[in-house]
Amino acid sequence: MFNAIVSADTLQATLDSVSVLVDECKIHLEEDGLEIRAVDPANVGMVDLRLDAAAFESYETDGGLIGVNLSRLEDIAGMADAGQLVHLDLDEETRKLHISIDGLEYTLALIDPDSIRQEPDLPDLDLSANIVIEGKDIDRSVTAADMVSDHIALGVDATEELFYVDAEGDTDDVHLELTRDDLIDLTPGDAHSLFSLDYLKNMNKAIPKDAEVEMELGEEFPVKMHFSFAEGQGRVTYMLAPRIQSE
Amino acid sequence: MGNADLRSLAALSDVSFDDLGGSVVAVDAHNWLYRYLTTTVKFTSESKYTTSDGEEVANLIGVVQGLPKFFEHDLTPVFVFDGAVTDLKDDEVEKRREQREKYESELEAAREAGDSTRVAKLDSRTQRLTDTIVDTTRDLLELLDVPIVDAPAEGEGQASVMARRGDVDYVGTEDYDALLFGAPMTLRQITSKGDPELMDFAATLERHDLSWEQLVDAAILMGTDFNEGISGIGPKTAVKDLHEHGDLYAVLEARGEHIDHADRIRDLFLDPAVTDDYEIPDSIEPDIDAARAFVTEQWEVDADEVARGFERIDDSVVQTGLDRWA
Repeated sequence: MFNAIVSADTLQATLDSVSVLVDECKIHLEEDGLEIRAVDPANVGMVDLRLDAAAFESYETDGGLIGVNLSRLEDIAGMADAGQLVHLDLDEETRKLHISIDGLEYTLALIDPDSIRQEPDLPDLDLSANIVIEGKDIDRSVTAADMVSDHIALGVDATEELFYVDAEGDTDDVHLELTRDDLIDLTPGDAHSLFSLDYLKNMNKAIPKDAEVEMELGEEFPVKMHFSFAEGQGRVTYMLAPRIQSE
Repeated sequence: MGNADLRSLAALSDVSFDDLGGSVVAVDAHNWLYRYLTTTVKFTSESKYTTSDGEEVANLIGVVQGLPKFFEHDLTPVFVFDGAVTDLKDDEVEKRREQREKYESELEAAREAGDSTRVAKLDSRTQRLTDTIVDTTRDLLELLDVPIVDAPAEGEGQASVMARRGDVDYVGTEDYDALLFGAPMTLRQITSKGDPELMDFAATLERHDLSWEQLVDAAILMGTDFNEGISGIGPKTAVKDLHEHGDLYAVLEARGEHIDHADRIRDLFLDPAVTDDYEIPDSIEPDIDAARAFVTEQWEVDADEVARGFERIDDSVVQTGLDRWA
């Protein structure tokens, strides 16, 4: 059983955070909220999302697992105006999700969860540097780097106590430094890793500009980015594997 | 050069470099060099790539700046050089030479007038592939362990046949003629930043319901490097006429038109002169130090101009998967 009412913006933010990496996902219906974990087909980017029951207008379930086509569900959610409520009701018999928005009824066929790529384990990494940065500064870094290159280096200079971004193109370069004062918080440790902008650009799309993003970085290690949405009742962790020197 | 009308027929889509990792690309060397020469010259002052003997070797900067793109995306490039100019192409070559001479005299005038913007612009257009440029490019590629193939005729035809045989995964060229040579998958815009454009041969034929021969016939009607097209025939008309009449000869007959050497032009695309004499290595092991000495000492290129490129070739990186850290 699953019966819930949620605001369209919260639903859209949830779906967008996941759809930047995958087309289909499993949604775990837990008594205290939803959980989604997915990795892209190339196994490079991962998302781990939790939306508390408190983020919903009403939320009832006795647990379960459903598989959804994200772009289909995003299209439906897009039919609602920002403040409108979306009513979700799972029909266990037919394995369909009934969605109603202000009189509009949509019946969404669900996907067999077993046919969806297996959920990844969240690697337990000991990352040396921790930065808390505004979403808009990530956006600025990614946008500038994208003008010159396909890759972006993120790093922390522990001695100078600063976070930096580097992108090197065929002819042009981008460099950005943010000191402790420019950041919300900084726990210094030497870190430098190179990432694909294709992935980071997509993740950036889902990060609210006014979000406080906690970034964990290491030396040639994956980056982890944590942020909240839905007034703190939704939480996302992105993890992205680095590009490293070939042997 | 390719026929821009062909672009409107071609099935094109963007593809991410990340999805191409591990592939082998047969690069049309002349086409690629030309692109890099025009951009290098645009951004760099002449003194940085002219030897004390006055020999221009901007191509060396182009090669050092252009190759990292392949290595960083885990692509193996195979450079295919043109052989003899096909005699039918003489007209086109002649036309380009005339154009260049025109630019050169304009360039002279701009220099005298001290118009530096105009000079830079014209300078890039007057770049030609001199023997020195071709020879030094080949020497540098050899030092960098990049395989070279010598086509008996058109490099693009050779590259396309290698792709048809499955010896390489993609042809790399800006030229739409690769479609006419039947290259299954062609990567365009491999010299520019951002995603390359993928040109799909089978999808192109399917989209217009044409056979390969008919696609070549359509191109001949529109005009190729080897013939002037029939006036008034663009892509739409060419496809429509071929659907209606079947082949080039029937279309020409119905219109009361004639194209010289039509048979030979067709064969140039459908059955180009190619060689089997090539090898695709499993891995590439560049000798960076030797290459750097060749470029900066032997050919006196400003070391700063190529420092970045060599560093990037040396530091080629590959995308890892998250499972590596699980």
